[in-house]
Amino acid sequence: MEANELKTVAVDKTVDARGTACPGPLLAAKKEIANIASGEVMEVLSADEATKRDIPKWAQKKGHDYMGVLEEDGYFRIYLKKG
Amino acid sequence: MAQKMAMALFSGSVDKLTAAGVILSGAAADDMDVDIYVLLMGARAFKKENINEQGTLAELPHLKDEFLASLERLNVNTWIEFFKQAKEMTNVKIHICGLAGKIWGGEKLEDFNELADDICGIGEYITSAQEADVHLFI
Repeated sequence: MEANELKTVAVDKTVDARGTACPGPLLAAKKEIANIASGEVMEVLSADEATKRDIPKWAQKKGHDYMGVLEEDGYFRIYLKKG
Repeated sequence: MAQKMAMALFSGSVDKLTAAGVILSGAAADDMDVDIYVLLMGARAFKKENINEQGTLAELPHLKDEFLASLERLNVNTWIEFFKQAKEMTNVKIHICGLAGKIWGGEKLEDFNELADDICGIGEYITSAQEADVHLFI
């Protein structure tokens, strides 16, 4: 999705993993996606550059829909729809 | 069916144990079944009396303090925390090599920390490595 579309996405769960380095954000995403329903949207906040590559690959393997990433001041918002 | 990882964990140094913990975390996120075979130097780190010992041994001793300080600054788990977390998230079994245990004075499972699942022989490790999708030696 384009950045302007992502900014309007309704988020069902926010996971703030900005206080951790790899593999913290991935583990947080893995844990928390278990707590939302299929079709719901989760955003992962991470200040770790590697997360931008890690989570999309993980999501693809696990059958979730990677929607895109928004770059904020010093961190990223990564959007996933649970498969 | 879950993919399988077999890991031979020879090292008992904090840097390599941390690397093993990070890799184990990735395997847990991927829902892999993991069998860890703790060999020789690795078994010392799993002895019950060493549970709170973080960083006695390091591959590069002159960098140990900088390494540990950076882990703390970055809020990175200790290797034990990585292992515990992975065991909560996926099917991880930790097997202590019988010889390795004896080298460090550990004859029975209760001589090791709660992460250890059993004491095993090398044949089991070879079979696990043969059957694994991913096989690592650390």
